[in-house]
Amino acid sequence: MTSTQTRRSDAPRTPQGKAGKFLDDRLMLAGPMRKQLHKVFPDHWSFMMGEIALYSFIVLLLTGTYLTFFFDPSMAETVYHGRYVPMQGVPMSKAYESTLNISFDVRGGLVIRQIHHWSALLFLAAMLIHMFRVFFTGAFRKPRELNWLIGLSLIALGIIEGFAGYSLPDDLLSGTGLRIADAIMLSIPVIGTWVSFLIFGGAFPGDVIIGRFYIAHVLLIPAILAALIGAHLALVVRQKHTQFPGHGRTEGTVSGERVFPLYAAKAGGFFFIVFGVCAALGGLAQINPVWLFGPYQPAAVSSGSQPDWYMMFLDGSTRLFPSWEIRLWHHTVPPLFWPTVVLPGIMFTLAGAYPFIEAKMTKDTAKHHLLQRPRDVPVRTALGAMAITFYIVLFLSGGNDIIAKAFDISLNAMTWGGRIALLTLPPIGYVVAYRICLGLQRHDREVLEHGVETGIVRMLPTGEYIEVHQPLGPVDEHGHGKLSYSGIAVPKRMNQLGAASPLKHIRGFLYPVKEKPEIQAALDELEQAEREESVGTSDSPRQLTD
Amino acid sequence: MTDELHGTGPSEDEIRKMTPEEAMIAGAAVDGVRIVHRRDRFPIRGTKAEKRAERGVALAFIISALAGLGFIVAFIAVPFEWHVPGTAQNFRFYTPALGGLMAIMLVFLGIGMVLWAKWLMPEEESIQDRHDVPSTEEDKLLTEAALVVGLQDTGLPRRGLLMRSLLLAGGAMATVPLVALVGGMIKKPGDQLFHTLFKPNPDLFPDSNGRVPIVYSDWRRVSPDDMEPGGLATVFPGVRQTVNGQDGVTDASSPTLLIRLKPGQKVKPRKGQATWGWPAHNPEYIAFSKICTHAGCPASLYEQQTGRLLCPCHQSQFQVLEDAKPVFGPATRSLPKLPITVETGADGRQYFVALSDYKEPIGPGFWERP
Amino acid sequence: MDDDIDVETELGFEPAVSVTGAAERDDGAPKAKRTKRGRGGLRRRLGATAVLIGALASMGGAYAAFATTSGANDTGTGAEDIAAGRQLFQVSCITCHGSNLQGVKGQGPSLIGVGSAAVYFQVSTGRMPAARQGASEDRKVAKFNEQQTNQLAAYVESVGGGPTVPQGNLKGDNNSVALGGQIFRLNCASCHGTTFKGAPLSAGKVAPSLNQATDKQIYTALLSGPESMPVFSDNQITPDEKRAIIAYIQTLKASKDPGGNGIDRIGPVSEAIVIWVGGVGAVMIAILWIGVKER
Repeated sequence: MTSTQTRRSDAPRTPQGKAGKFLDDRLMLAGPMRKQLHKVFPDHWSFMMGEIALYSFIVLLLTGTYLTFFFDPSMAETVYHGRYVPMQGVPMSKAYESTLNISFDVRGGLVIRQIHHWSALLFLAAMLIHMFRVFFTGAFRKPRELNWLIGLSLIALGIIEGFAGYSLPDDLLSGTGLRIADAIMLSIPVIGTWVSFLIFGGAFPGDVIIGRFYIAHVLLIPAILAALIGAHLALVVRQKHTQFPGHGRTEGTVSGERVFPLYAAKAGGFFFIVFGVCAALGGLAQINPVWLFGPYQPAAVSSGSQPDWYMMFLDGSTRLFPSWEIRLWHHTVPPLFWPTVVLPGIMFTLAGAYPFIEAKMTKDTAKHHLLQRPRDVPVRTALGAMAITFYIVLFLSGGNDIIAKAFDISLNAMTWGGRIALLTLPPIGYVVAYRICLGLQRHDREVLEHGVETGIVRMLPTGEYIEVHQPLGPVDEHGHGKLSYSGIAVPKRMNQLGAASPLKHIRGFLYPVKEKPEIQAALDELEQAEREESVGTSDSPRQLTD
Repeated sequence: MTDELHGTGPSEDEIRKMTPEEAMIAGAAVDGVRIVHRRDRFPIRGTKAEKRAERGVALAFIISALAGLGFIVAFIAVPFEWHVPGTAQNFRFYTPALGGLMAIMLVFLGIGMVLWAKWLMPEEESIQDRHDVPSTEEDKLLTEAALVVGLQDTGLPRRGLLMRSLLLAGGAMATVPLVALVGGMIKKPGDQLFHTLFKPNPDLFPDSNGRVPIVYSDWRRVSPDDMEPGGLATVFPGVRQTVNGQDGVTDASSPTLLIRLKPGQKVKPRKGQATWGWPAHNPEYIAFSKICTHAGCPASLYEQQTGRLLCPCHQSQFQVLEDAKPVFGPATRSLPKLPITVETGADGRQYFVALSDYKEPIGPGFWERP
Repeated sequence: MDDDIDVETELGFEPAVSVTGAAERDDGAPKAKRTKRGRGGLRRRLGATAVLIGALASMGGAYAAFATTSGANDTGTGAEDIAAGRQLFQVSCITCHGSNLQGVKGQGPSLIGVGSAAVYFQVSTGRMPAARQGASEDRKVAKFNEQQTNQLAAYVESVGGGPTVPQGNLKGDNNSVALGGQIFRLNCASCHGTTFKGAPLSAGKVAPSLNQATDKQIYTALLSGPESMPVFSDNQITPDEKRAIIAYIQTLKASKDPGGNGIDRIGPVSEAIVIWVGGVGAVMIAILWIGVKER
C-alpha cells in the first residue's frame, strides 16, 4: 500500500496474472473488487422476488431493442398489403402495419414480440410481489425508507411505461385505452383540456401521439427506470440486505453465501430461468393478437375491452365509481376525475408515506436490519391485507364484464357487487388477518412452552389421555419450556428443527432426503465439531469492529 | 481504511506462506466476512457420487446446447407464412417451436448453473459485518466545518444581492427548458371540443344551406328507406376534407348512431329536443353521438327491444327512449342528440342531413364545459 | 331481377373507400352527385351469383311464390311444407305465440311479419322452443332438424311475410374477408367482440358468442335482429357486405393462432390469469427450489 515499487520477484508469470496486473495498475481494483467478491447475500427464497423484476427488465431491454429494428412509430396512413389476408387492403397507420409485419413477415418476430409483452407483465407482477414481501416483513423501516420510495416510483413508472408500450401498435384495443387516457386528462380541473391538447398535439387522436409515446417508451422512461434500478441496488449494497433473525443473523451481521462463486452461480442461473419462463410464455401462449383486433378507428370498439393487468385496477375503480359530477359556475369536474386521478394519487401517497406514518405511530426511531414475521406485527399485516383486498376488488371489477359473461351474472349485479365489496371486504380482510396473526402468535408461544406435538397419545394411570409433546429446549420443574420467543420461526413438527439453525438443513426440495446411516453419522459428527468451533468464536467479529 | 475497521490483516510475507484457501479466508476476514462453515461436497475426489453429480450438471448444459441448435434449425426449417384456413396451417407450430426451444435452452442453462452451485461447489455459510456504524462525531463535526466554512467563503450568507440574483438565474435556468419544451408542445384548445364536423358548412354544401349530409363509413348517403325498424347504423358527416387532416369518417368526435325505432316505441324527449328526430312531429329516426359522455368509448351496444344503450368500457347505460339519458353506471350526462332531417337528393331519393351541429359538446366532460 | 340490382347500384352504392384507398376521397362534394361510380375493385370481383343471392334475399315474398312453382325441394316453401310447418307449430309453438301467430301476452311475442329468417335463426340455434323465460335465450341443441326448421319458417312466413331465409352460398370468398372485417368491427364488434366472444348487455341480457354460428344463422340474425340485436337491412348492409362479414367471421374462427395457444382469445383478462398463475407461479417454484438448502 505504501510503496508503488514492485519487487522483481512479484512480477506475475501466468497470463491471468499478467492481465490482472495490467488492470490493477490502471484501475486499482484489487481491494474494492475483493470486497465485492466477498460480499455476503442471505439466501431466503423470498429475497429473490426483486431479482425476478430485475431480470425481466433485462429481458425487456433485449427484446425491446430487437423490436425497434422493425417497428415504425408513425401514424401516417397506409394500406396493408402484407401476408395476413384478413387485413389486406385495409387502411391503417404505419405503426399498426409494422406491428403486423413483425408478427407475420419477420421470421421469429412474433415470438420476440410476445416475449417482450409477457416479460412486461412479469416485470410489473414481480415488482408488486416484491413490494408485498418488503411490506409484510417490515423491510421498509429505517434506514430503508428511501429505497421504499424508489421502489414505489419504479412501480408507478413501470405502469406508465407498460401503458405506453401497450398503446404503440395503434390497434383497436389500445386505441380505446388511449381514448380513455385522453378522457382522464380532460377530467383534470382547470388545466385538463390544455394537458390533453399538449400531450396529443391537438384534439384526440392527432397524429403525434404514437411518436411521442414511442420515444418515451424506448428512451425516456427506460433511462429513468434504469437509473432508479441502479440507485435501488446501490442502496441495497450500501445498507446490505435485511434478514430474518436467527443463528448468525443479528442487527450487526448478515449471514449467507458470498457472491463468488455460490451466489453468482445461483443468481446467474436464475436469470436464465426467468428469461426461459418469458420465452416459454412468448412461444406457447398468444398475447395481444392485434391482427384479431384490427386497426384503431375512433368509431369502432370491441366489447370486453380491457387494459393489461396492471391497469385493470384503474378500469375497475372507474366502473364502480358512482355518477357524481360537480358542476359549478359553468364549469365541470367530471366523475372520471375521482377514480382515475385522485384515487391512484391517494393510493400511491399512502403507500409512500407508510414507513413514516408507522414510525411516527410506533415512535420507533431505531434502525432495523432484522425482518419481522408478519404475525408478529398484526396491525401492519392487517392493514396490508386490507389494502390488498381493496386492490383485488378493483382489479376484478376491471374484468367484471368478462366475469359476468363467463358465469352468467347480470352486469348490473356485478357493478353493484363490486361497489358493496369495495366498501365491506377490506375491513373484513383487516379483521380476519389480525385474528389469524394473533392465533399464529399464540400457537408459537404454546409450542415454546409445551413443545412439539409428537402424535403419540398416552393414557395416564388416571385414565386421562394426553398427547406427548417434545420440548424444544430445557424445561422448568413444571415441564414448561424456558425458551422465549425471539422472532424466529418456531418448529411446529418433528423433523423441522433445522429451521432454527443454518448449520443443520433438511435436504430435498419436495420432501426430506434421508441419507444412508453411515453417511448421516459422519455428517452429524462433522456438524457437531463445527458447532463447537463456531460457538467458540462467535463474538469475534463484533470485537473487531468495536 | 480497512485496517482501521478490522484490525491489521496478515502481512505480505504471511500471505505468501498461506495456501490459496487460507489466503481467501484471511482476505474475507479483512473485509469483515467470517466463513463459519465451509465444506467440500465431495471431500474424496473422484467418487461415483461426484461423477454422477458432474454428469447431471453437464447433462443440463448439453440439453441447453441441443435446444439452441434446435432453435436455429426450427428458425430456418419450420414454415412460418400465414395461410388462409383450408390450406396448410402448420405456421401455427413456428412460434411455439421457437419459444419452446429457446425456453429449454435458457431454462436448462439456468438449472445447470444452479445445480452446479448446489451439487458441486463447496457449501458455505458466511457471516458478514454490516458496518452499520453511524458516522463518528468527529467525522460529522469535521464535515460540518468544511461545509460551513466553504459556504462562508462563497460569501453567500452575507451578500444578499448575490444570493438573490443567483436564485433568479437558477430559476431562469430551470424554467427555460421547461418553457421551451412545454411551450413548443402547447396547443390552444380553442372551441375544438365544442364542435364536430356536422357543423353546417355553406362552402362545401351550398345547395342545402350548408347542412352536412349523413353518410355510412363507405360514403354512401343514408336514406330513411335503408333501415328497418329496430335498426342501428353508425353514420358520419359526409365531409371529405378538413383542415386538420381527418375526414368525416375518421374524425374522432363525429361518429354518430342513427337509430330507427320499432313501431310503438315513443321517445320521451329532453327539453327542447322534441323535434330533432325525423319525422319532426313524431320521430321514428333519432341520432345520438356515439362517443360516450363518460370516457369517450364508442357506446354502441344497443338493445333494440328495450332501447338501452351500453358502453363496453365502463358499462354506463343510456336509455335511448328518454333521449339517451344515463340510467346506470358512471356516466352523468345524456348522449348529445344530433338534429336531423331529410332532403331530396339529385336522384329523387330522400337522404338524411344534419340540421345543425350538436348543441352541446360530445364525449367526456372537461373543465370548460358548462 | 338483375335489373333491380343494377338500379340499386346506380343509385346508392358508393365505392368502399376503405378498400380502394385514399384516391377515392379526393373531393368534398355531396354524395348525391356521385351516383355513377361503380363499386370498388374488391366488390367487383364478387361473382354474379352474389348479386343474384342478394336480390333473392331482398325480394322476400315474391321469391316464395316463385319457389312454389319450381317444386318443393329443400327450400321449404312448398304448400306441403307450409302444412307440415303448421303441424309443428301447433304442437310446439302455439302455447306462447298463439294460434294465429298473434302472440300471447306475457308468454311470447307476435310472429306476424318476422319472416322465415327470424324463425330459422331462433329454431336452428335451439333458442326456440324456449326452455324458460329469461333475460336472454341461450343457444341450445336444436329441437328440430333442418327440414322441420324450414317447414316451420315457411309456415310463419306464409302467414305474416317478412324477411326470408337466404339460399345458396352465404359466405364471401377470401377476397371479401378484409372488407367483412371492416364492417364487422364497425357494426358488430361492439357487442360480439373482435374475437366473437360475445358480451353481457344490461341487466342479464347477453350478446352471444359467435363460435358456433353457421353462415345461415349469422345471415338470418342480421336480417331479423333477434332479441336485443338491431336489424341490419339489405339497404344498410348490402347482401355482398353480409357475405363478406360471414367470410370474415368464419375465416377467423377457422384460422389457427400463429402465436401459440390462443388462451381463448379473450385478451388481457386471460393474459392476466396466465401471467399470475403460469408466469409468476413458475418463477416462484424456481426461487423456492433455488432458495432451499441442500446439504
